[in-house]
Amino acid sequence: MTAVITKPATPARNHRARQVARWRRAVPGYFMLLPFVALFCGFLVWPLLNSLYFAFTDFNGVKPPGWVGGENFARLWTEDTRFRKALLNSLIYVACAVTLSTAASLALALAFRGTSWQDRIMRTIFFLPSVTSTIAVMLIWRWIFSGERFGLANTVLSWFGAEPVSWLSTPRWTIPLLVLMAVWGGCGYGMVIFVSGLNAIPEEFYEAARLDGATLWQQFRYITLPQLGPVTTYVVITGLIGAFQVFEAVYIVFRAVSSVGGVQDSALMLVPYLYDMGFTRFQLGYASAIAWTLFLIIFVISMIQLRFTRAVREL
Amino acid sequence: MHRRMFATAAAVVLLAAGCTTGGTDTPQQDAAGPAELLFWNTGSDEQAASLQVAADRYKETHPDVTVKVQAISWDDGHAKVLTAATSKSGPDIISGGLSWGIEFGELGGMIDLNAYDIAQAKQQTRPELWNSITSTDGAVYGIPMDMVLYVFYYRPDLLEAAGVTKAPATWEELFAAVEKVKASGVVTPLVEEWGTFEWLPWFNYLKQAGGALYSDDCSQVTISSDQAVLATTTWADQYRKYGVPKATVDVGNGLAKGEYAMAIGASYLAGGFDAAHPELKGKWQTAPLPVGPAGAGSFVGGKIVGAMAHTRFPQAAADFVTWLYTDEAVEILQREVFTRGGELYISPRPELLDKANASDNLRQTLKATLNTVTGPPNCKGWETSGSEVSKRLQAVVNDGKDPKAALDEAATIMQDNLR
Repeated sequence: MTAVITKPATPARNHRARQVARWRRAVPGYFMLLPFVALFCGFLVWPLLNSLYFAFTDFNGVKPPGWVGGENFARLWTEDTRFRKALLNSLIYVACAVTLSTAASLALALAFRGTSWQDRIMRTIFFLPSVTSTIAVMLIWRWIFSGERFGLANTVLSWFGAEPVSWLSTPRWTIPLLVLMAVWGGCGYGMVIFVSGLNAIPEEFYEAARLDGATLWQQFRYITLPQLGPVTTYVVITGLIGAFQVFEAVYIVFRAVSSVGGVQDSALMLVPYLYDMGFTRFQLGYASAIAWTLFLIIFVISMIQLRFTRAVREL
Repeated sequence: MHRRMFATAAAVVLLAAGCTTGGTDTPQQDAAGPAELLFWNTGSDEQAASLQVAADRYKETHPDVTVKVQAISWDDGHAKVLTAATSKSGPDIISGGLSWGIEFGELGGMIDLNAYDIAQAKQQTRPELWNSITSTDGAVYGIPMDMVLYVFYYRPDLLEAAGVTKAPATWEELFAAVEKVKASGVVTPLVEEWGTFEWLPWFNYLKQAGGALYSDDCSQVTISSDQAVLATTTWADQYRKYGVPKATVDVGNGLAKGEYAMAIGASYLAGGFDAAHPELKGKWQTAPLPVGPAGAGSFVGGKIVGAMAHTRFPQAAADFVTWLYTDEAVEILQREVFTRGGELYISPRPELLDKANASDNLRQTLKATLNTVTGPPNCKGWETSGSEVSKRLQAVVNDGKDPKAALDEAATIMQDNLR
């Protein structure tokens, strides 16, 4: 560490000297940032801007893109019934998956928030899906819900004398299965966040409440839940973003029975639809329009969620 | 304020730079020097290794040309080839689904092989197959590399136990056999494999009923005809009445365990039955698909092989692609594909079927089937329409939708995509 020593001088010279000193201190930092900035621009900013440009073109991946203005967005919102199906499926899936996943995370956090070895083991077990390869997990889900008799779900059913079910080929099962996979895979991560939130609530609050005769439910309702507000917002918003971007579950599990989107598009979500349009049908311009529409949807819903949480907190 | 202006200016510059992406140059003549060709073969590692043996033999007579074969999977092969075409880098030669040539070729990603010597390959290929890989404007972006046919597999012992003395030859015999076999205690008498619950198996019924997807000149969609309605009803009855599973099944395992007695599946399955299930050896037979009111008919699939537009060695790539049609190359592939992966390689040259590693029964089945095959349509927009047609057909089975109404919807989509 080198100190910069300046002689007493006029205010202008002092100011200039301070600026030079600040630059000298800052330059190594900027140099150290350069690799990150280069990678950030090359692999995030640049593709993002390209994709924004492509959303207004008829780019097919090979021929040079031609400018079509807002045609892709107009087609998406006014003509494309498949997009509407994907949007509806996504909204139902997101609502169910995020609600159940958050509730399960909170329940697990309340159950295993302690520091005993039993609680630590349980937290580790529930957190395991978050650090397991998604592809491997999805392949196992595919096997569990295989339509044949060796599928685990059908094996269990057969113990009770039930006929095997074509889980993945039956549209009414599609979203419930996707939600099940999401809750199983996501509640461990939410649990860890909630545990840290729970442990940050001062114990004095509960002691005071108990002295006032508050029941366990009242303590949960009037202390735990309000104190967990910011944590809940974080869990919900990250869960919401993740749920809107669901891809592997649809692509790996339901591709076993039909083209992208599953039987009758019952598993079609926005990102698989985007993939299908871009990489199966070569409509990369249109796929970019879907991507930016998805961004706007997530952005608007997140803003509403944040405003709503803030409004509730201010009540 | 200045920061915001700088950020906006930077974004505009980046955006403008993004607009310059792309190019149109297509090499026509080989670059100087020895050619090193990268061949992406869609399929298994064993198939790639078999092709590498063929490529090494090719090098013995073409010392200036080295072909390196890499396997890419069917799951992401399509996206990988698109990425290669977009970035104008990667393989010089690719193989993939029969329709990939037209798809990538019309995008500008593959070379029209008409500029090279493919006359003999055309002459040696079945016209139905050649038609499928020829674009409506006559361009040929990839020539057939192998064929996959539909085959009727069955366990004669299970059929006999149910009182069925021979393989069903007609639709009526097929469904009568299903009922008898079911009554004899076989859980799932009939299964479909290869495009299960998609348009592929339905296409067989369509041909057998006398229907077609498009008119011969691709000017009209003909999918909502009476024949197509009959085909759709019969196809849907498989699932609704006769318990055919809607999900893909392990045919070999089911036949070996006696859970399935009959299967309509792809020819490539045959090679693996005995190797994966030794207990099945000598217990299974094949026959052509049962015929419908209009006679026999089935779908033929397979792979094309062609040269990418960005290759620096188009002539060398085209030469190697056409060399795969020679007796020598076919003989190597038939032997190596079977030895390494237990798979049956069916060359697009039907006269070489006699040399394939297959039983007499299977060879007879394949020969009989080859006479009545139809490939995927080469009409504009079919690739986009195919999955949409599947969804409408699935609604007939799952929602009890009227077949005529479902086909009318499919016809509208196909007609839109045809424009």
